[in-house]
Amino acid sequence: MNLLDKLGKEWLFCDGGMGTILQAKGLAGGELPETWNLKRPQDILDLHCAYLEAGADIFNTNTFGANALKYPHDLEEIVRSAVRLAKEARVRTGREDAFIALDIGPTGKLLEPMGDLPFERAVELFGEVVRYGASEGADLILIETMSDGYEAKAAVLAAKENCSLPVLVTTIFDSRGKLLTGGTVDSTVAMLEGLKADALGVNCGLGPEQMLPIVKRLTETASVPVIVNPNAGLPRSENGRTVYDVGPEEFSDWMVKLAALGIQVAGGCCGTTPEHIRRTIEKVSKLPFKRPVPKKRTIVTSFSRAVEIGLKPVIIGERINPTGKKKFKEALRRKDIEYILSEGLRQEDAGAHILDVNVGLPEIDEPEMMESVVTKLQSVTDLPLQIDTSDPAAMERGMRLYNGKPMVNSVNGKRESIEAVMPLVAKYGGVLVGLALDEEGIPGTAEGRIRVAEKIYAAAEEYGIPREDIVIDGLAMTISSDTGSAATTLETLRRIRDDFGGHTILGVSNISFGLPRREIINSHFLTMAMTQGLSCAIINPGNEAMMQSYRAFLALQDMDENCMGYIEAYAGTSAPAPSGQSAPSAAPAGKTAGEGAMGLSESIERGMTGSAEAATRGALKDRDPMDIINEDLIPALDRVGQGFEKGTVFLPQLLMSAEAAKAAFEVIKESMAGTAREVKGRIILATVRGDIHDIGKNIVKVMLENYGYDIIDLGKDVAPETIVETAIREDIRLVGLSALMTTTVVSMEETIKLLREKKPDTLVVVGGAVMTQEYADAIGADCYAKDAMASVRYADSVFGA
Amino acid sequence: MRNAIEVIRETDRKEVRRYLGYYGKKADAAIEEQIGFCLEEMCTAAEPGAVFRRCGLILHDDGRIRITALPEDRVQGTLMETASKSLARNLQGCCGAYLMAVTLGQGPDLVVRRAAVLSPGKMVICQAAGAAMAEAWCDEVNREIREEASRLGFACRPRFSPGYGDLPLTLQKDFETALEMKKEIGISLTDSLLMVPTKSVTAIIGLTREDTDCDIQGCNSCSSAEGCSYRRT
Repeated sequence: MNLLDKLGKEWLFCDGGMGTILQAKGLAGGELPETWNLKRPQDILDLHCAYLEAGADIFNTNTFGANALKYPHDLEEIVRSAVRLAKEARVRTGREDAFIALDIGPTGKLLEPMGDLPFERAVELFGEVVRYGASEGADLILIETMSDGYEAKAAVLAAKENCSLPVLVTTIFDSRGKLLTGGTVDSTVAMLEGLKADALGVNCGLGPEQMLPIVKRLTETASVPVIVNPNAGLPRSENGRTVYDVGPEEFSDWMVKLAALGIQVAGGCCGTTPEHIRRTIEKVSKLPFKRPVPKKRTIVTSFSRAVEIGLKPVIIGERINPTGKKKFKEALRRKDIEYILSEGLRQEDAGAHILDVNVGLPEIDEPEMMESVVTKLQSVTDLPLQIDTSDPAAMERGMRLYNGKPMVNSVNGKRESIEAVMPLVAKYGGVLVGLALDEEGIPGTAEGRIRVAEKIYAAAEEYGIPREDIVIDGLAMTISSDTGSAATTLETLRRIRDDFGGHTILGVSNISFGLPRREIINSHFLTMAMTQGLSCAIINPGNEAMMQSYRAFLALQDMDENCMGYIEAYAGTSAPAPSGQSAPSAAPAGKTAGEGAMGLSESIERGMTGSAEAATRGALKDRDPMDIINEDLIPALDRVGQGFEKGTVFLPQLLMSAEAAKAAFEVIKESMAGTAREVKGRIILATVRGDIHDIGKNIVKVMLENYGYDIIDLGKDVAPETIVETAIREDIRLVGLSALMTTTVVSMEETIKLLREKKPDTLVVVGGAVMTQEYADAIGADCYAKDAMASVRYADSVFGA
Repeated sequence: MRNAIEVIRETDRKEVRRYLGYYGKKADAAIEEQIGFCLEEMCTAAEPGAVFRRCGLILHDDGRIRITALPEDRVQGTLMETASKSLARNLQGCCGAYLMAVTLGQGPDLVVRRAAVLSPGKMVICQAAGAAMAEAWCDEVNREIREEASRLGFACRPRFSPGYGDLPLTLQKDFETALEMKKEIGISLTDSLLMVPTKSVTAIIGLTREDTDCDIQGCNSCSSAEGCSYRRT
């Protein structure tokens, strides 16, 4: 009998606590429970038998902590013996109907980018356990106690890629209904369903009583069967020892309440015993069974946030895209991820709900860049991302490494496109944008576009992608070449909404290509499109006219409670004076208030970014750009730098001044378009291997940039080889290394050694919290810089500036 | 224990300035304003957590220090062992110990990473604010431990963390296991033994049968530190 014949169709019951019972049997502190599979098999066997006799249908192998990190030598034997013991228990108790769950718990390590376990390494670690367990005869994979959705994703992929058994996943929510990494019930459910988990739910952390609101939300959001395995109450400290004190009677009464919410699988976790399970089965199996109901919601998520499409229109920020942006292209070529991240954060501040990520450029390695940008963006923003690429390899890399359920842009009606993209969405999960065009091109009528949409819906169904995970792009084409095109697009939107109950998306600003004052057309078109049901608007949220249309639409459509969103955005502001100028940038109101009219030098010395920009613009009207740099900017920066060296100016002030100077440079650069500022020299900066602190390095970077150096920032935890290779390839004269911990000074020394050997003419400056002149001398550095200014002075001496 | 958010909201600005290197000097108005913004943002993002347990302590003659489970604990055994001289001095005359771990959660780290992209100046202020907040939260948890200890008839030494003196960072692994740090409050260790979230602290607090606790702020604030033989180095 296959589990899937029963799962979601009748009551199923899991076993209860294992670790707590082994501890009671004498498991010592620091002793790994899985070693008992070999050392004390009888105890494990007895435990399985007790749960099977209590009536459990699904019981766990003793493999919760089994992975190659904890068992580098005997993992296979540990896992295989665990499954064998489970099989033997089934025979002994005559419970051949029970299902053996290969139990998989967290690795204990935190995944990159917050921690240091690479995602693919996690997939490998889990995959190894799955292969042993599945080949030994487990009936299903139970991934449990996951407090990080990303790690759960790695485990699900490992299970799916290494066996064909059903995969069940339970995560550990705290009393606020969140994972440790911030995920909510909604975001977790969406991601796991996207990955095609066969059932999902909650275990550990809380008792049945505290789980009530979480289970309620689970049953409201999940379309697959829901599993609930609580602890025997909250752990309580009694004279310094941990006790779980909800007894079998009370526990099972609570389980009845939880079961009534519409769950399908019930069991227990820490502190529960065979008796807890027996009483639960007695009571719950008498209740009417409810099958899970498909919820048909369209949800994209980040690691912590779920955005539902179809409630009110959502804004997808379009700025992470090189098309028509010289600066962005340059950033991609230089691998200047910081610049790309700042584009993302600015859009978030301006009101985007989702960020489109398009990093396609013919001359770069797009899959690698996609991976890098997606991962790094997810370490600074909790907005969901839209992976936007025409390269299937880049798309897969982005989707695989993505922490959550992404939006994917795009598929179209062409067979080739469907065959390349849909298997990826079926595997990794995602909300897929379907462009209403196919082999015949872009249909000129709404009728034609609807036909393509139908084709895409049908193909999705074939691939097992639910219809609600498709969003149709009605295609905005400029009215300057076909004045009827807006009407066609709008009609397409309306029909997707009315005839299919579907969702739509548009790259709004395409509508005005080739026309003057495009935002007039764009903002009105946006309003019209939303009126016809547009669910997702891909726009620049920094464009105030577009955001005005959006906010006004929400207020007028009763989608903005008490008009609070509108009021918050516009109360106390006044309309810009009508002029030929476009609206001012979307800098948050108040940010520059109070800075008044100040000269450039003073603005920089006081660290006022807004007024430094304004003063520069003013100065540019009647002065030569180079004069402004040499007479105002650099001297002001120098004064602050000298103050810092004398101890009268402190680090925050130094950095604020540096930021103001940088902003002023940017303004000047724009005005000089083409005539680049002279670069004094190129310098590599890196935090050495093993060290994940990059604050000091980043400070040095800002200062050096301001003083005219071109920085190749290799980031943190950088291998000596990478640094040396880059130095050779780019022929770099000066390398700056940072280390915060005594333990990583060793890596610094290694790096210097390798550099001396492979590229002896490169100089090395070192710094960091633990660094001293003595240390620097001992490891053979050319210079010890005690702070950022010292680095600047040294660079100036090296490059003779 | 007081509400953690209230505790960190009361973080002393003087401490933030100290971490920024001002050492008692005033920051100018713009920086002061930034400190206010950053404290607010870091507090809003924080999800503080704390875990502690009382343990047995054996001080061997050869200088080894062993911290063990209590006889009444479910799981028996040694929790950590070290030959650190600095810790031995701190624990001289002690008959028990608490292990504690606190964290501000992942939110503040996200704030700092965002600031690092948009504004390095803001980033260093957020860092300093986070450090001061973590200390404030540590003090509060330490106070709670003192109360519990005093009910049991113990006085407390100042807390002592891996990284102080010669106490090695490798002990973080023992803290991880003994306190179930990851499961309880979400602290993970990297291979190089750094804690994530970064605004996290672990510490050992010695218990004595003496009459009075040491100063909670540690030896630097203690009026009797001069000539005290337990002084933290």
